[in-house]
Amino acid sequence: MQKSARLPLTRAQTAWLAALLLSAQLPLWMSVLDWVALVGTGLVILRLLPPVRRLGSTRLRALLLPALALVAALGIRAQFGYFLARDPCVEFLYLLIGIKFLEARDTRDGSLLVCLALFLAVTQFFYTQSLLAALLALPVVIALGGTLASLRAGAAAHADWRAQLAEPVRLTLQGIPIAIVLFILFPRLAGPLWGTATDTAARTGLSERMAPGSISELSLSDAVAFRVDFIGPPPSPRDRYWRGPVLSRFDGREWSALSHLKLGSFARRESAPIDYTVTLEAHGKLWLFALEYPLALPHAPTDEATLGAPVNDIALLTYDQQLLARNMVMQSVRYTVRSASRAKVTAVEGDVADNIGLPNNNQRSALFARELRSRVDSDRAYIDAVLAWFHGDPFVYTLTPPLLDRDPVDAFLFDTKRGFCEHYAGAFVTLLRAAGIPARVVTGYQGGEMSLDADYMIVRQSDAHAWAEALLDGRWQRFDPTAAVAPSRIERGLGAALPAGEPVPYLARMEMTWLKSLRLHWDAVSYQWQRGVVGFDVRRQRDLLREFGFDNPRPVQLAAAIAGVVLAWTALVLGFSRLRASQVDPELALWGRACRRLARAGLARRPDEGPIDFADRAATRWPQCSVALLRIGELYARLRYGPEREQRAALLVRLRVSVDSLPSVRKLRAQS
Amino acid sequence: MTLRPAQTQAIPVSERLASVIDALGRVVVGKQTPLKLALACLLARGHLLIEDIPGVGKSTLAQALAGTLGINYARIQFTSDLLPADVLGVSIFDPAAHAFRFHLGPIFHSIVLADEINRAPPKTQSALLEAMEERQVSIDGETRPLPEPFFVIATQNPAEQIGAYPLPESQLDRFLMAIELGYPDPAAERELLVSGDRRRRIPEISPCADAATLSAWQREVDAVHVAPALLDYVQALLAASRGTSGATPRLQRGLSPRAGLLLVAASRAWALLAGRPMVLPEDVQAVFPALAAHRLAGSARAGGPQAQALLHAVALP
Repeated sequence: MQKSARLPLTRAQTAWLAALLLSAQLPLWMSVLDWVALVGTGLVILRLLPPVRRLGSTRLRALLLPALALVAALGIRAQFGYFLARDPCVEFLYLLIGIKFLEARDTRDGSLLVCLALFLAVTQFFYTQSLLAALLALPVVIALGGTLASLRAGAAAHADWRAQLAEPVRLTLQGIPIAIVLFILFPRLAGPLWGTATDTAARTGLSERMAPGSISELSLSDAVAFRVDFIGPPPSPRDRYWRGPVLSRFDGREWSALSHLKLGSFARRESAPIDYTVTLEAHGKLWLFALEYPLALPHAPTDEATLGAPVNDIALLTYDQQLLARNMVMQSVRYTVRSASRAKVTAVEGDVADNIGLPNNNQRSALFARELRSRVDSDRAYIDAVLAWFHGDPFVYTLTPPLLDRDPVDAFLFDTKRGFCEHYAGAFVTLLRAAGIPARVVTGYQGGEMSLDADYMIVRQSDAHAWAEALLDGRWQRFDPTAAVAPSRIERGLGAALPAGEPVPYLARMEMTWLKSLRLHWDAVSYQWQRGVVGFDVRRQRDLLREFGFDNPRPVQLAAAIAGVVLAWTALVLGFSRLRASQVDPELALWGRACRRLARAGLARRPDEGPIDFADRAATRWPQCSVALLRIGELYARLRYGPEREQRAALLVRLRVSVDSLPSVRKLRAQS
Repeated sequence: MTLRPAQTQAIPVSERLASVIDALGRVVVGKQTPLKLALACLLARGHLLIEDIPGVGKSTLAQALAGTLGINYARIQFTSDLLPADVLGVSIFDPAAHAFRFHLGPIFHSIVLADEINRAPPKTQSALLEAMEERQVSIDGETRPLPEPFFVIATQNPAEQIGAYPLPESQLDRFLMAIELGYPDPAAERELLVSGDRRRRIPEISPCADAATLSAWQREVDAVHVAPALLDYVQALLAASRGTSGATPRLQRGLSPRAGLLLVAASRAWALLAGRPMVLPEDVQAVFPALAAHRLAGSARAGGPQAQALLHAVALP
């Protein structure tokens, strides 16, 4: 076995390593802490500066570098409060790579850094599995190939980086079919391995609480909440109410969900049913969003559904008509639901008690409500009066309402009159409850934008919305006070409803059509990525394999299939290169074979080394084979550079015999 | 002169060339490679520039070469007042014959040692260089051919450039090779000290050849086989020197097509010296530094590392 020589790193090798490390760090810039990103990348760059390169040989590093690592570990521990979890460890690795690179001196350090960089490069998929993340991983692969090539070439690695780049690119291309096979056939795990409890990071999305400002904050995000494929025409914009958390409890400032959970029954539909498939992005919570009102439990998408797989156990319906998943949505899910925009939701026992109470602040509102109620003769007339008041009074729909303090409903209704949908929904429900009408806040999304070729709908976080439901005449009915203030919010979306100059997500504005179309194009691509690549889970793998005739394959069969395809491809690639070599010149192929064997035995021909020189060198290394080696060099030289025409065939035979007579790689290694 | 029976691989000429080198080596001690390069230069019909300090054996080399090959030799010491006529020759009125008679200059010899060529003014330099190029001299309307073979060894002292006229690049190109002799290694120097001045042995040299044989050898050089694969390699080297292949950094100036032609010729001569009927990449690599260094950087010393780097950078096709 060859010993890996500890040669000092050349400049080219150092440069390649730096490229590898930087490209591994780059995708994590958005995920790690700011100071970690700055310091970790700074250390890598620092190593390239001349004075630090000299630091590598001083004794200082023996003390300095462990101290640096300790400081980094303590800093991260201080920031997180814990250390042994996914995120702090990724941050530590990020810093560690910079520190290790600072002290890297020889090729063994280089090999270690390659391993560390690869590990770091994979960690970015903890945070995001988008198409962009996959593309960002590509430079790592290329830089990895270049680094390995330059490490292997040793001191002979000239500045010829183009040749070193061409090789890894070629290898990457050759590896793509194998990657595809592994992707399709490798057994899928049911869930991600890394969902550790300490790291349920805050994700953007609705929550079970709503305080003034929480939704308007969400509205600034362009992130996709979910996408919808409609089977049939999509509903009109005014019917696009995507029902999410229902908030019945009010503490005077914040709305929250009830803590107890009761199962409910589905609404009776009063209009045509709409069937659609939702691709919900991970939000770390339980809600499954559906159009108001769902008529049945979600099931696996019909285009992928297979023979009677038990899928109706993924969700349940609560008595306040929320669809809840049985497990937290930690990765994107797809499900098909049937809804109807008109449906009768009858009151159930406990509804009144749960949805009537008010805390005893906001007294002005209570007074106003009682006074207004006494002037009209029915609950419905009262609700109409409140909505008319919202419409008539100078209420302003804005993303940047003033801060509300002690009695937020009072302050909003009578002083500031500036608010976002959560202000209107919350104040509306307060007014209803004050007048003795059971009511609750419903949050979710309102709206949605059709994709470019109109085959699916995109619902973004900026479509987050809050509205109200009141129990009237024994059934729950939807009222949207925001519509009374800013009707265009419901009809045409957020951007149209807000006055110009408000900080709206770029996409919510109707102008900037080229940007919008660019983003829509990108969304179409990443939707396909999400569906086809990230969403390729156990079930879809099983379905695909069934189409190929593998019904419930055993792991052994899968392994055999993978090995078979990989072997066949390798044989094809190698065979092709052999074929090409033999087409060029038979003596070149034979010479190449001899050179490869000697290279594997530890003596590589320099690219510029002539046949006689190399044969001489090999003959001094293996004196017992010197006759054959010298003859090979001479015959090859005569065949390639000599004037022989008639003797070619005979010389070729002799060359082939001599090459075949060379001992095996193992014997050569033993003899050297 | 004995001739061993020709082997299957070797050709008889190379045996005789080997004996020439043996004979030369007895006079110029420990300078095997410069000797072979000088001989290859002569066989390839080129001229040689030696850059070195005095006293390392430049004129010994030239005299020994002339003696071994059995051709005549002249030495011209270049000085700042040297005139072209001092090199080429002059017509003098002969009162007896009532006519001008041309006195041949020292250039009408087979081997001419132009010592310290950079000390002569450009006019004289170019007279010599034109004669080298055209292998004839035209004076007073009459063209006189130079002897065949004709081989100029010019020396240049790199240490003393003050008050000198360094050869311009275009003139440097006239020399097929530029080499440094360098100091002898300790063993050779000891031998030199023990046995005294080698120049005394020059008269004892028995010639191994004559002018006609030398011309025949030069024709042998042209017959050495050059394979397409080798021309590929030469072209790759030329391309690399011009920085067009991308493998090497761009050099100050690349090698001209004429340099390529000369490279093939010198490689042929080297292959003949090695006793091979065809040129191998090793032959090209052996002569390349001597041929390329002064063309790439203006002097053998400055261009040597560049030439070696070029060789390393270009892979065999």
